[in-house]
Amino acid sequence: MSKKYAVRNIRLCTKDCLCLYVCPSGATDTENSIIDVATCIGCGDCADACPSGAISMVPEVYPPQQVKTETVIGALKALMQSKAEQETIAAGLPGKLAAAVEKSNHIMAEDIIREAGFMLPQSDNTKAFLQSLVENKQPEGFPKEVVEKLIKIFNKNEEEKTMSENKTLDNLMDAFAGESQANRKYLAYAKKAEKDGKVNAAKLFKAASDAETIHALKHFEVAGKVATTADNLKDAVAGETHEYKEMYPDFVKVANEEGNKAALMSFSYAMQAEEVHARLYQEALENLDQTEEVFYYLCPVCGNIEKYRPEKCSICGAPGKMFIKY
Amino acid sequence: MGKYECAVCGYIYDEAQGIPEAGIAPGTQWEDLPKDWVCPLCGAAKSEFVKHGEAAVSIQRMPPTVAGAHTDMEEMSSAQIGALCTNLARGCEKQYKPEEAALFTELAGYFKTVSTPASAGADSPGFDKLLGLIEKDLAEGWPSANAAAIDANDRGALRALVWSKKVTLILKSLLTRYQKEGDAILENTGVYVCTICGFIFIGDAPPALCPVCKVQDWKFEKIEGGS
Repeated sequence: MSKKYAVRNIRLCTKDCLCLYVCPSGATDTENSIIDVATCIGCGDCADACPSGAISMVPEVYPPQQVKTETVIGALKALMQSKAEQETIAAGLPGKLAAAVEKSNHIMAEDIIREAGFMLPQSDNTKAFLQSLVENKQPEGFPKEVVEKLIKIFNKNEEEKTMSENKTLDNLMDAFAGESQANRKYLAYAKKAEKDGKVNAAKLFKAASDAETIHALKHFEVAGKVATTADNLKDAVAGETHEYKEMYPDFVKVANEEGNKAALMSFSYAMQAEEVHARLYQEALENLDQTEEVFYYLCPVCGNIEKYRPEKCSICGAPGKMFIKY
Repeated sequence: MGKYECAVCGYIYDEAQGIPEAGIAPGTQWEDLPKDWVCPLCGAAKSEFVKHGEAAVSIQRMPPTVAGAHTDMEEMSSAQIGALCTNLARGCEKQYKPEEAALFTELAGYFKTVSTPASAGADSPGFDKLLGLIEKDLAEGWPSANAAAIDANDRGALRALVWSKKVTLILKSLLTRYQKEGDAILENTGVYVCTICGFIFIGDAPPALCPVCKVQDWKFEKIEGGS
């Protein structure tokens, strides 16, 4: 559902001012009685509170219009054409009745064309209509700038819509990062709880950690970040390369300067392992169509990966028998 | 004793009841009502009434046709484009978008000036031509458009067609009376137009609810001057 904002019908407003009392942003309290769209947060409290029903919540983005069939459009336009003609004839006749007939026909023409696909001013039909006005040759005196202003306003609204969609994309990636971190954090807590013999807490941490993985994977997928395997491998190479070439060298340097030996070791193991990962991802990318099965061996201490079980880890020296086979 | 229903507003004349407050005694037969008698609610002529209970209220059908329809923008007349623009201005107003509404109104204003009618000379077709177009629309336009809307199950289109047809019946009644009686029908009385459906009311004050679209009376506009 699209975001909404509040509008006040001044004719119905009885100045009970409950909207002022309940508005958390002050948007309803304006000297001209028009609710400030820029300040309104769309909570709807004012509309709920208003005793005279003067406030409505209207959407920022309207749904697409009802689709009209060609036959209906054709039949309505034929009638509308006749109404417009009658309006013009009546405009040339004297008297109050002719004036009323002119007006009446104009109102009918408006209503009929509205039902022929011109209900919403921000619809594609309207945009096509405005575009045709600018593109077709028009007589002198035609207010082209007015049409261009309208096109600009409607295009700007489209851009804002895209922007708000981008905001959701940002949020998905923020949520992905948060859930990913929570997953590792709970795993660390689970390990600690296990070590302390707190079995139930350990179990809950593990279950919750898995739950965060589910969330993270879903957010990532919805954000459209999972591409083809070849592209995913390329992305992995880029990520690992950035880490071992730029990120970790800086971190190592600072840890060294600050004399934090534990951090120095953690960073340095990771940096060396990421370089190996980058190389392995690159190899896998080059041999993506290879059918012969490859095995990988993971060092559980530093995260190094080898393609055979080593005597001992080339990065941290852990014995080869500890390596986990994939 | 029979009953007769107004095709515009649904008012029912009951022969048994008459309308005593208007000097029509109970038992007055439909045929005995004066020829120039009009619907006390909406002003429709006697000819717009149908015998109550007879299937005349059902919507006339005719094969839907698009003949003569102009579906391309390029072929729309200035008056048509003007109506489209004021309709879009109304759409913006309803959405509380005053800037866009003002721009569409300005655009409509331009098309209004360029669609100024040929001056009404002595041989101006005028009222006859209006009545001719109305007769043609009632005979062909609505039956064909109604069929199209029903086939497409398009309630919105059907709604606009029902309203505009009723309003057109009123226009027909008024123009016919005007041709016979001239300005007399407008003497010492007001002319009001419903700004929602276009219904025209002649009387001292507009009805509390529009007989066609049922909007409240403050949505009527009084036609001033124009004599």
